[in-house]
Amino acid sequence: MNRAALPVRLLGIAAVLTIGAATWYGLFVVPPDLNQGDAQRILYIHVASAWHAFFSFGLAAAASVGWLIWRNPRFDAAALAFAEVGVLFTVSTIWAGMMWGKPVWGTYWQWEDPRLVTTALLLALYLGYLLVRRLTDDPVRRATRAAAVAIIAAVDIPIVHFSVTWWRGLHQGPTFGNPETILNPPAPGAFVTALLFMLFGVILLWAWLIIRRYQLARLEWIAEEAAQRAAVGVPA
Amino acid sequence: MPQTTIFVRPPGVPESAPAAVETRELSRLFGGGVALGGLSIRIEPGAAVMVEGSNGAGKTTLLRILATALRPSFGTVLLDGIDAVATPERVRPRIGLLGHATALYDDLTASENLRFAATMSGIPSPDVEPRIGTALARVEMASTANHRVGGFSAGMRRRVALARLLLGHPRLVLLDEPLTALDASAVDLLDGLLAEWAGQGTTVVIASHLADRLGAPIHGCLQLENGRLARVSGPGIAEVVPGREQLAAALPSASW
Amino acid sequence: MTEVTSDVRVIIAVAGKDWRGELRSRQLPIGAAFFGAVTLFVFGFALGPDRAALAQAAPGLLWLALILAGMLVVSRLQQLETDDGAGEQLALYPASRGAIYLGKVTAALPFLLLLGAVLLPATAVLYSVVIGPALPALVATIVLGSFGFAAVGTFYAGLTARMRAREILLPLLLLPVIAPLLLAAVRATVAALAGDPFSEVASWLGLLAAFDLVMVAVGAATYGTVLEE
Repeated sequence: MNRAALPVRLLGIAAVLTIGAATWYGLFVVPPDLNQGDAQRILYIHVASAWHAFFSFGLAAAASVGWLIWRNPRFDAAALAFAEVGVLFTVSTIWAGMMWGKPVWGTYWQWEDPRLVTTALLLALYLGYLLVRRLTDDPVRRATRAAAVAIIAAVDIPIVHFSVTWWRGLHQGPTFGNPETILNPPAPGAFVTALLFMLFGVILLWAWLIIRRYQLARLEWIAEEAAQRAAVGVPA
Repeated sequence: MPQTTIFVRPPGVPESAPAAVETRELSRLFGGGVALGGLSIRIEPGAAVMVEGSNGAGKTTLLRILATALRPSFGTVLLDGIDAVATPERVRPRIGLLGHATALYDDLTASENLRFAATMSGIPSPDVEPRIGTALARVEMASTANHRVGGFSAGMRRRVALARLLLGHPRLVLLDEPLTALDASAVDLLDGLLAEWAGQGTTVVIASHLADRLGAPIHGCLQLENGRLARVSGPGIAEVVPGREQLAAALPSASW
Repeated sequence: MTEVTSDVRVIIAVAGKDWRGELRSRQLPIGAAFFGAVTLFVFGFALGPDRAALAQAAPGLLWLALILAGMLVVSRLQQLETDDGAGEQLALYPASRGAIYLGKVTAALPFLLLLGAVLLPATAVLYSVVIGPALPALVATIVLGSFGFAAVGTFYAGLTARMRAREILLPLLLLPVIAPLLLAAVRATVAALAGDPFSEVASWLGLLAAFDLVMVAVGAATYGTVLEE
């Protein structure tokens, strides 16, 4: 791990610098939206967070399948890293969404927004995942139980999204498709640039967090196994 | 340090290529506590082995690992040369376990419980009823075959669990505290079964702290303390690989 | 014997012994149905005596009561395996894990359907709901909803059976997963009671069926993780 320490550190520094620059660009360079005003600036971080939240959970489920097939602890460490970082980005997504929703929709919580409701359920599913991990002592049993929870959550999410979308579509009119609140950027180029700029920064941050959390999980596993081997007096 | 391996073999029986049970460095931890620490034993087919020790010594943990009910933290288990940790499904049909709990359904009768076990074990349908009849008769429970298990005493439950063991023809029988709650006639019954298994070349591992109540011959006795092998004794302890002096020193004190 | 026939034999054996035992003691069917009915009754207190409000909330309350009482069903059926260490023995039989899982799901199904049969008329009486021509659609909703609930509930009841804080963990894990089931079942019930003006009942039933298939397939494929120690 020492060999990779410098590139990982540089990645972390690059992430902080890029996000800092993207924040400056989004706050001071892009003009306010004609309809939403300054509120649209929250979307840069909201959209980037949301993509990474869903992406992380897909990868967590894939790593969980890997664990169940190959029983290699690296898969468990990866699943944990993806799930934990995913929870972080999910919280960030929901928080930014609520901050944006209050000025634009007049409410923090919009039941009719399928993405918001789906994201909240995603958070509940993966908090359950982390709880199952926390409540299981044996490392192998923990990895196995958690893998099952991650896989069920991953197949559930598309159904959740589908059902919430239908709920809105079949039952009620598009109450939040109000033309007053649709984005109307005076400088579409700057808006897209800010969005991509922030997205790039968040990709770097996400990668850095995943790598560091994975390394930590591997160290935890190795330490746990070493402590167990020491306790029974069996050399590796 | 070379790991000590304890060999248990019935007298006069040559060492066979795959042992009935062979463990290497078998260990299990529960929440950081050592339940079983680095146990290496080799049991030849047909041997009867007693595992002794106080509560928490690791007897049940050892039996559950041998039964593939529990995965070891470290170490290997070979049953008839088959890796029981990596491929438990391959060894399960040849194992019979009488666990600490009787694993019976209270609201079912004795024969319904056995019918369920027979079906789950894959015993062909035409054989199921005759085998249930024979097994219940053997444990002297034929007259209560159609009574709910929930109304049984602890001893009667043990007898039904023993009957479940007799449905199949296990090559390795694991008995966890089989004498618990058994009366004198049931102990005689168990002695008879042990003699029968010895005659068939079935390997038997018994965990008990009431070993002296059994009359059947025991080839080796392993004394566990805090998950580790403390003493060994018995006529079947054929060999001790050097490494643990206290084990070798304990050999002459064989009481069997 | 082929693998398929032995799997069918295992499913029948597992479901059969649960039915036999629970019908003999009658604890589960009576207890769960009574709990569901009391829940419906108490919801009435929580919402007040306004008939129109109660009738409007009825589909949601019916499904909440079904899910709360359904959790008793799956916990109780799991408890049978936990009580005397039977679950450990279950894991040692040379039977396919998927078949054992399908057996437990099958065991839960009639008890959940019984709940529906009790709670649907209770809803009609307590909340002044007229069922009439909506009955076939409601029955289909309850059948599909019960199956999906059994598929997920059986899995999580088994997974949490030997864990610390399992009483808290089971609803916590189960409720978010069955959120789409709850949503689809409630919408189908609302639409059916309204005479299906927008022809949406079939769509919701389709979504329920898709949920059922996906969950039962994943459950059967991963039930080994539940039995493994």
